[in-house]
Amino acid sequence: MRICRTRKEDAVWQRNFRTLVFYLVLLALWQIFFEMRFFPEYILPSPGMVFRRLRELGGDGILWPSVKATLLRMAIGFGLSALIGLGVGVAMGMLPVANQYLRSVFLGMQTLPSAAWVPISLLIFGLSDRGIYFVIIMSSMAAVAIATADGIANIPPLYLRAAKTLGTPRWAMGYQVILPAALPSVMTGFKLGWTLGWHGAVSAELIKSSIGLGFLLHMGRELNDMSQVLGLMLVTIFFGVLMDRFLFGVMENRIRRRWGLDHE
Amino acid sequence: MIKTEDHSPAAAMPLPKLVLREVTKAYNTRHGIVEALLPTNLEVKKNEFLVIVGPSGCGKTTLLNLIAGFDHPTSGEVLMDGHPIKGPGFDRLVMFQEAALFPWLKVIDNVMYGLKWKKGLNRAERRDVAMCFLEMVHLGRFADASIHELSGGMKQRVALARALAPNPRVLLMDEPFAALDALTREGLYLQFQEIIAATKKTVIFVTHNVREAACLGDRVAVMSACPGRIKRELMIDLPRPRQFNRTEVSVPAAEIGRELHADLPDEEGGRGVAEEF
Repeated sequence: MRICRTRKEDAVWQRNFRTLVFYLVLLALWQIFFEMRFFPEYILPSPGMVFRRLRELGGDGILWPSVKATLLRMAIGFGLSALIGLGVGVAMGMLPVANQYLRSVFLGMQTLPSAAWVPISLLIFGLSDRGIYFVIIMSSMAAVAIATADGIANIPPLYLRAAKTLGTPRWAMGYQVILPAALPSVMTGFKLGWTLGWHGAVSAELIKSSIGLGFLLHMGRELNDMSQVLGLMLVTIFFGVLMDRFLFGVMENRIRRRWGLDHE
Repeated sequence: MIKTEDHSPAAAMPLPKLVLREVTKAYNTRHGIVEALLPTNLEVKKNEFLVIVGPSGCGKTTLLNLIAGFDHPTSGEVLMDGHPIKGPGFDRLVMFQEAALFPWLKVIDNVMYGLKWKKGLNRAERRDVAMCFLEMVHLGRFADASIHELSGGMKQRVALARALAPNPRVLLMDEPFAALDALTREGLYLQFQEIIAATKKTVIFVTHNVREAACLGDRVAVMSACPGRIKRELMIDLPRPRQFNRTEVSVPAAEIGRELHADLPDEEGGRGVAEEF
């Protein structure tokens, strides 16, 4: 047992190491490409230039408040979206009629790119933050609702039978058994919803805000500053991955393992 | 709810705990009506250990579901202490082939779960009761463990503790040991008999394992399939606790086996099933 574990840890470490090497090679190729001057500097700046520009933005006190602003909008927008999605998903999971109709609406909504919600939000909310919350909610709520409904539909019937034989009253089934039993799927929905909401938040900020990652990205374009554009894209990816992998991903894995859905 | 005082002279003769009177069950399927259970009469006395044994598809699980209240008879009635059974409830707790423990709760919270719906117990009292039953299955030190950390045999013991904790009058067990490996299972039989003797439960135990039936039952009802019916009842009059592998258990086991095989269409089929047992 002990040996197996060590080997597994070794494997993980080795894989992480190889990934790190891959990114270093990628960075080196970028640098080489830059040195060969295939493209002018305003099309392809060097990694160093991008990094320097980010440092400048940080030094000017613009970068970090922008990251904070976008994350705060996500906290509010996605928080609301998760609540609404959970509620609608539970209704869909319990009522076949709601499921049949809402599912088709949500599946349709999911084919719409997040940015396509921006014009309608501008028309309704103008240039306020509420419009950004709206875009986040519309981008991510369907994913949460569908995952919740699927989670409820796929609860092992044995849990429900066990709960009934143990005397669970009908009114308590929802929060005592159905929601916890559906939690792994709900968590998957949150993870996917977060990513879609993140797309929505940055898309909306491109057009209608005076702070935030999307705004800085847009500003980079206005200034014809490729270093800023690339830098902001990297920062956006970084925080997206950070939340997706290291917050929602870790929670999802822990729940799945505990619920006995992943066998080590 | 619980009225034990009897005023009639008939009190001398204890009423059966559970009575099935002319119970039938038929299902509507695409291929028409399937009779899962022919008219069945069955009485189970208080503190009796009744084993229902039969091949797959003989309606033994149907019978258990009717008593559990998961399902309703097509005709006839199922009475517990003289009252018809309306639905599931913790006076008749079911243990399944899978432990069906809730993974979102710790071990102790699983055992406490059924107590939550009984009136008049606060959290500390519920915990004490649950702990007592967890000790009984020798898993006291796993109280704070998560379900996924337990082995199959341990899970089934927690399930037993969870089923016993609300103090059901009848315990319904649907092949509770079938999913365990032979070694774990044989280790559990003695422990299980001790617990049932100590807690004085009326047990209805469904299995397709003849030796298990002979080892555990006071009485064994042998069922036959297609359509399901009880073809014979045998009394097992052996001292307890019974060792699963002792020879005296093989005598009634063989008898139950013969009774089951008598049904099978030909020698070939008979041998096939005999190997399964």
